[in-house]
Amino acid sequence: MANDNEIIDNIANKEYEFGFVTDIEMDVAPAGLNEETIRYISAKKNEPDWLLDWRLKGLQAFGRQKLPEWQNFALPTIDFQKISYYAAPKSKKKYDSLDQVDPELLATFEKLGIPLSEQKTLAGVAVDVVFDSVSVTTTYKEKLRELGIIFCSFGEAVREHPELVRKYVGSVVPYSDNIFAALNAAAFSDGSFVYIPKGVRCPMELSTYFRINTENTGQFERTLIIADEGSYVSYLEGCTAPMRDENQLHAAVVELIALENAEIKYSTVQNWYPGDKDGKGGIYNFVTKRGICKGANAKISWTQVETGSAITWKYPSVILQGDNSTGEFYSVAVTRNKQIADTGTKMHHIGRNTRSRIISKGISAGQGQNSYRGLVQIGPKADEARNFTQCDSLLIGDRCGAHTFPYIESKNNTATVEHEATTSKIGEDQIFYLNQRGIDSEKAVALIINGYAREVLNQLPMEFAVEAQKLLSITLEGSVG
Amino acid sequence: MLIIKNLHAEVEGKQILKGINLTVGAGEVHAIMGPNGSGKSSLASVLAGKENYEVTEGEVIFQGKNLLEMSPEVRAREGVFLAFQYPIEIPGVSNINFLKTALAEIRTHKGLPPLDAKEFLRLSKEKQKLVEFDAKLVNRSLNEGFSGGEKKRNEIFQLAMLEPALSILDETDSGLDIDALRIVSKGVNKLRSANNAFIIITHYQRLLEYIVPDFVHVLYNGRIVKSGTKELALELEEKGYDWLKEEAHENAPTI
Amino acid sequence: MMTPQDIPLYEEVVNGFNRLSAADALGRESSDLRRTRQSAFERFRESGFPTIKNEDWKYTNIARWLKDEYALGGIPGGSGGAAAYGAVAENVRAAVERARVAELDAYIVLLVNGVWQKEDAGGLPKGVELLTVAEARQDPALSGYFERPADGRERYFAALNTALFSDGLFIRVDAGALPAKPLHIIHVFTADHNLLVQPRHVWVVNRQAELKVIESVVTAGVGTGAEAADDKGQATAKIWVNSLTEIIVHSDAKVDHTVVQTPGERTRLVQHTTVRQKRQSLYNNYNFTFPGADLVRNDLQIRLEEDHTETHLYGLYLAAGQQLVDNHTLVDHQKPACFSNELYKGVLLEQSTGVFNGKVYVHRDAQKTNAFQQNNNLVISKKATIDSKPELEIFADDVKCSHGSTVGQFSEEALFYLRARGISEDTAKGLLINAFAFDVTEKIKTAAVEAHVNQLISQHIPLTHA
Repeated sequence: MANDNEIIDNIANKEYEFGFVTDIEMDVAPAGLNEETIRYISAKKNEPDWLLDWRLKGLQAFGRQKLPEWQNFALPTIDFQKISYYAAPKSKKKYDSLDQVDPELLATFEKLGIPLSEQKTLAGVAVDVVFDSVSVTTTYKEKLRELGIIFCSFGEAVREHPELVRKYVGSVVPYSDNIFAALNAAAFSDGSFVYIPKGVRCPMELSTYFRINTENTGQFERTLIIADEGSYVSYLEGCTAPMRDENQLHAAVVELIALENAEIKYSTVQNWYPGDKDGKGGIYNFVTKRGICKGANAKISWTQVETGSAITWKYPSVILQGDNSTGEFYSVAVTRNKQIADTGTKMHHIGRNTRSRIISKGISAGQGQNSYRGLVQIGPKADEARNFTQCDSLLIGDRCGAHTFPYIESKNNTATVEHEATTSKIGEDQIFYLNQRGIDSEKAVALIINGYAREVLNQLPMEFAVEAQKLLSITLEGSVG
Repeated sequence: MLIIKNLHAEVEGKQILKGINLTVGAGEVHAIMGPNGSGKSSLASVLAGKENYEVTEGEVIFQGKNLLEMSPEVRAREGVFLAFQYPIEIPGVSNINFLKTALAEIRTHKGLPPLDAKEFLRLSKEKQKLVEFDAKLVNRSLNEGFSGGEKKRNEIFQLAMLEPALSILDETDSGLDIDALRIVSKGVNKLRSANNAFIIITHYQRLLEYIVPDFVHVLYNGRIVKSGTKELALELEEKGYDWLKEEAHENAPTI
Repeated sequence: MMTPQDIPLYEEVVNGFNRLSAADALGRESSDLRRTRQSAFERFRESGFPTIKNEDWKYTNIARWLKDEYALGGIPGGSGGAAAYGAVAENVRAAVERARVAELDAYIVLLVNGVWQKEDAGGLPKGVELLTVAEARQDPALSGYFERPADGRERYFAALNTALFSDGLFIRVDAGALPAKPLHIIHVFTADHNLLVQPRHVWVVNRQAELKVIESVVTAGVGTGAEAADDKGQATAKIWVNSLTEIIVHSDAKVDHTVVQTPGERTRLVQHTTVRQKRQSLYNNYNFTFPGADLVRNDLQIRLEEDHTETHLYGLYLAAGQQLVDNHTLVDHQKPACFSNELYKGVLLEQSTGVFNGKVYVHRDAQKTNAFQQNNNLVISKKATIDSKPELEIFADDVKCSHGSTVGQFSEEALFYLRARGISEDTAKGLLINAFAFDVTEKIKTAAVEAHVNQLISQHIPLTHA
């Protein structure tokens, strides 16, 4: 069999597949964060005054906040004034149909495997694409509208459905929540908006594809999903960025609201540019994702496959307010080269008989550092609350790290919380067994990893699961693609 | 001894027992048979007082008292013993300490003084011998690391120690090899008397070759659909349950 | 938020330290030790007392106990020093009796407020040498055991102890010595006015030696003196114990260390233990905390400084009343092929709070590490709280590490089984609490100590609280 070092070197040397730059004329705001920038963004987007006020409050909160210090790695300094907070493909007006979209842009998405033309769209997936700061196109809009489903860019929602946006924006992640949420509230450019009316089961997967293209820009999109009583939606997001030597900041906010008997399934495949093998460049992925099960029997499920970004900092959480509500978190995070992933979830059990389930699979290779950081909190009124957590870490190579920091806080004696975690090396005997059956070590590693992550991958919608599986293999298979 | 009248029960909103009528007299052995999911084990759980079973209708009179009003421990002290289908393992609670506590509580309930250590030991030795229960197991944690057969024998050992008036054996034969089955049956047969009664719940006729019942009842879909003598068990062995199911459906009230 | 200046104890220790250094009151200490004290003191002055903003004290808010004033005890010129207890008082005798382990054939060492009551000495096991820390710290040959490198990382209470300790117990076990009897160290803490005492202990177990220690921590009539009573004759004096023990287990040595903590109310106990294990050594720790003290904070740090060591940590905490019991453990795997196993169990009664934080840290060099950790909690009362934080930080790949943590109630099925045999619900719960604790108590190797602990458990099993 190939020796370990060889495999690991191959993994470490894997190049980023999606690292090309699209050459399009861009409308870029001058770098820097101040009231002027915020007013510039808001004016560009013709926003109402209440939204501008809200942004300005976010800016003030940002000024008061500090970078967190609880992580077990040194955070590089981020110069917020060097980042440009707005970049959009230059165009006079918004696109009415795909024909008006810059062919370069379409080609980009074609390369990424994101079909925009409806004929070519994967069966049953409606796509909203966010290119740098703005939503480029939303497919299948008409078909959804018949059911009363609203699926559009955030900007459009502000124009067309201001009452819904105003009611819910910031209701789950307030602008003062943390420094990056404040930054997003101040400077968010666009994002996706979804509303599923009462009793409607969204017939297709809704999907957003994010891409950071322009140099020295940050992407600060905001996603708001509201599932009204008894409704269901499955939502997917994917992300890539070109290769750049500088670090780019991605500070998104996602808010999910599930009312009584509603269910939201949110899946992410995150493949931002991770930096090169020496840790140069790459995305700082500092994202605040939180959902609230507002009504009884509501359910929110987060699934994420995290393979990209130089640093990921992300804790998709669920506030289990409604009685009998359920929160789930399924995660696979892969780090290699000098990537750092610090990710996990928070499950706040407030209502009675609430349930949460956390499955986290970390894979560390090269000099990658992978941490699970999670909180399970049982409030005094959360009678009969239950949590089950399983965190596994797999180590490939002797220079990486795997860390587990679960916090369990229970104030209710009828609650049951179970947490288990294991850390181990990728099984040499398993690799050997597969070798002995004629499978080379690279493939063996890929097979083992996919098996290891199966519990999480199974949670993804079919089309995504295949993609994610491929991505995992590509990321970790020896020659990697 | 036991009179069950029109017993209805549900678990998590699902109707499991739909009107059971059964009378068990002292000195009698009743076998309750039936296909999987017919409600056999539920009947045992309801009689023992398991909390997630809700009685919605009917009554159960045990030795002249309303059994359904009693907590599980009071039922046990009054003389109802359930030999569990899946006896639980409780690490850290020693078998002997557990039995001593149980026996003391039952004796107190009957107005008897607790046995002193010597008497208890003598009784324990005697009963171990009676049901061929390994002395080594007596001193271990309750059922911890016991094989399936050892757990079932421990149930019979407890039965012997606590001397209940009514014993309910819930699928005691499941998971037993032929030798264990013989030992368990032998123990039960030795414990049979004119003063006590047994309800034996089983899926197969096999156990009834060793413990011969006075009556056999077939439970299907939450009701007793047929009663008879031990010959009924043989008939079931031969013909299976299907013919009874059909019969039951024909007789079911139309809605 | 309280600033250091708002805390009366902060001022007391700062003044105390300045007084000590000015008067050279600690005697003939090496210049390195003096430097150690000075830098520890500066670190303490910087850090102050910990608040919930410090990750290690996130769940343990000590502000309410820092509102009281305490006199700095146990230092020359301070109050409550050795001299005050020269003749062991009646209530101390009573406390010693409570701490005694029936049918344990042990050599008893009595410490009152950290000062060894030597008159009982004699009949020490062969190969075991005892000294007071007051002597040892002034002995040039032993001074090194108390010194710290200039970049020492001690903060908060540990730094405070290093800055100001004056006495405690120094134990040395000769290489190859296999003492016939265990040592039973009885720590009695007592005060007739609010007092801070800071014992410091160093135990050195040389190559291929063995040491068995049972430590009992008790209080004797804290606050029962006439001075301490309020106008209704109720006791009010409080005692804060900030104790630090360092244990060095040399290669091929074995240490079996049991700690039984039963101090009474109005006691705030902060116990810091650092164990340094050398090649192929074995260290077992059994820690039992019972209701009584307002606060018990145990910091147990195991430093695996050489390869092929073995470590077992077992803990049981039974908390009641308003008590806060906090166990922080660190197993620091620095070198290859070490094995560690940890099992901590908690039973939370009444309005108590339990905190568990167990960290396993595996350094890059520590290949072939096996490290396991488990924390289980039984929350009995509606008003009890548990915060559990097991942590793994792993920088080597050829390892097997796991941790688990559970919070729960009695198994309904087990409860039903017992009740179906005629056992009352309360008795059944008592049996199940005992069973829950059994996993820990059964690990104690000395039968007399196991019986002693089991008896303490049954004393506190709250059949009526359930």
